Amino acid sequence: MTTQTPAQQPETSREDGSFLRWWKQSSRLRFFLVFSILVLTAWEWLCSVTGVRPYIFPAPSQVFKELINDPQWLAAHTAYSVSATLIAFAISVVLGLILSVGIVYSRLLDRTLFTTLVATNAIPKVAIAPLFVLWIGTDIESKVLIAVLVSIFPMVVDSVVGLRSVDPGMLDLARTYRGTALQMFWKIRFPNALPSIFAGMKVAISLSLVGTIVGEFVGSNWGLGFVILQSQGQYNTPRVFAAILVLSILGTLMFQIVDMIERRAMPWHVSHRNRHDED
Amino acid sequence: MRAETSMSGASGTIMAAEQPVHVKLRGVYKTYNSKRGDIHALDNINLDIREGEFLSLLGPSGCGKSTLLRCLAGLEKISGGGVQVHGKDIDGPPENMGIVFQRDMLLDWRTVLENVLLPLEFRRLPKQEYIEPALKLLETFGLRRSADRYPWELSGGMRQRAAICRALLDDPSLLLMDEPFGALDAITRDNLNIELQRIWTQTNKTILFITHSINEAILLSSRVAVMARDPGRIEEIVEIDLPRPRTLAMRESPDFIRYSAHVRAIFERLGTFIG
Ligand SMILES: Nc1ncnc2c1ncn2[C@@H]1O[C@H](COP(=O)(O)OP(=O)(O)OP(=O)(O)O)[C@@H](O)[C@H]1O
Ligand SMILES: [Mg+2]
Repeated sequence: MTTQTPAQQPETSREDGSFLRWWKQSSRLRFFLVFSILVLTAWEWLCSVTGVRPYIFPAPSQVFKELINDPQWLAAHTAYSVSATLIAFAISVVLGLILSVGIVYSRLLDRTLFTTLVATNAIPKVAIAPLFVLWIGTDIESKVLIAVLVSIFPMVVDSVVGLRSVDPGMLDLARTYRGTALQMFWKIRFPNALPSIFAGMKVAISLSLVGTIVGEFVGSNWGLGFVILQSQGQYNTPRVFAAILVLSILGTLMFQIVDMIERRAMPWHVSHRNRHDED
Repeated sequence: MRAETSMSGASGTIMAAEQPVHVKLRGVYKTYNSKRGDIHALDNINLDIREGEFLSLLGPSGCGKSTLLRCLAGLEKISGGGVQVHGKDIDGPPENMGIVFQRDMLLDWRTVLENVLLPLEFRRLPKQEYIEPALKLLETFGLRRSADRYPWELSGGMRQRAAICRALLDDPSLLLMDEPFGALDAITRDNLNIELQRIWTQTNKTILFITHSINEAILLSSRVAVMARDPGRIEEIVEIDLPRPRTLAMRESPDFIRYSAHVRAIFERLGTFIG
């Protein structure tokens, strides 16, 4: 009998992520690039034929000029926003997970904390943002706090749903192994909740960026939110557009990174099955 | 009310009776309280399962077979009576027990091999030492080539076989199987019946086996407990005294046919159709 160890099966190797392969498979991205070029060309052309003034509606070329005008300056503000966003995201994820575990295992926390969280989520965080600036100043802490406040809710809700929606049969199985509560958590509940947790993380990363920008709008001398507000005050609309462009690229990039981590973490999940089929 | 029947010679009976009792159910009651009233799932179940015995539970859908198995596995609180394993009342799942649920209960995030190795992780046994035996077991059940695949890549029958491998891995002395072959095609089912018999004779396990199939029950069992519903109870225990090892061809033998006719007559008398 020839032994074929599972590792030798070519079909199931999950480790080949070479750029070339990815590019070949990502027809979605290529399509998007072509589409963008078409839109930008049309936009440029429209601006030049209509002669609309740049401070009303700038052409792509003017936005691009602004983008490379002082790259270091823009990069510094971008870095500030990115740091605030990432710190807030990290806090949201870690704190959100801890809270959701508490909520799932403790009836008391479920009835107090979770209920409060759901109730207070109705308050628009933007409305209370000025308060935080008042209380803790215009430094990065206030941005982080606002961003955490905005992004922790989906994190907690999705994790709680994920941790709760475990098939009781699976817990029965673990019970027949006389497993400890800790084992049941790490081997059954947590992996079972991962799809939900990642769904929460994807929302949380986007909302962290939103929260950061809101914080910067309310009171800051740094960050892309500040750049937008300041440039708008100076009627420098091309620069507003440039900042928005950077923001949207950032948002997409951060989302994609979470998506990539998700795919690495759960190659088994439904959403990643036969992904190439859709091309 | 309940009759023990032995239809032919007594050779098998004597052997079984000499073995110590492995699992003892005494006056077990189980009532589920639901919004639409109480469901009397088990009514005064008395049953001794002897060590090394292959006992089948046979009965119509909803007669409480799974419930009985779950009570025995310590997964369900019983409403009355007692369950003993090796003479001791159980509190929770007994040690050294393997279980195959009616649904396969494979973990989506683990490959077939990782699923099969799951019990060891819970019991903190060295996984490395079990990889070879696990692969061998998968081979037996025709899953060697699928060892590295995820459950969603398998057919229903393959999944169920993987679940059986998982239950067999650390060689439990008590094996509970809830319709393990229900999802399989007839040919695979036949093969696995023979395979299960081989495993049983070689390892001396006590097996409690649930099935809808009269033929399967007779082919495999030392005794068949025929159950009836509303309330769920054991109607009759039929001793199957056919020579071992049993072969698929035996199903056409007059003795075998007598047994299946006898069991069928019980269901006819009760007015229930099986399946
Ligand atoms: N968790 C539960 N809550 C309420 N009632 C239940 C529960 N589990 C089973 N029952 C009821 O108990 C009775 C016996 O169910 P059980 O699953 O043991 O039947 P079964 O003999 O295994 O049937 P099948 O052959 O279809 O698997 C049924 O009437 C069922 O509705
Ligand atoms: Mg059942």
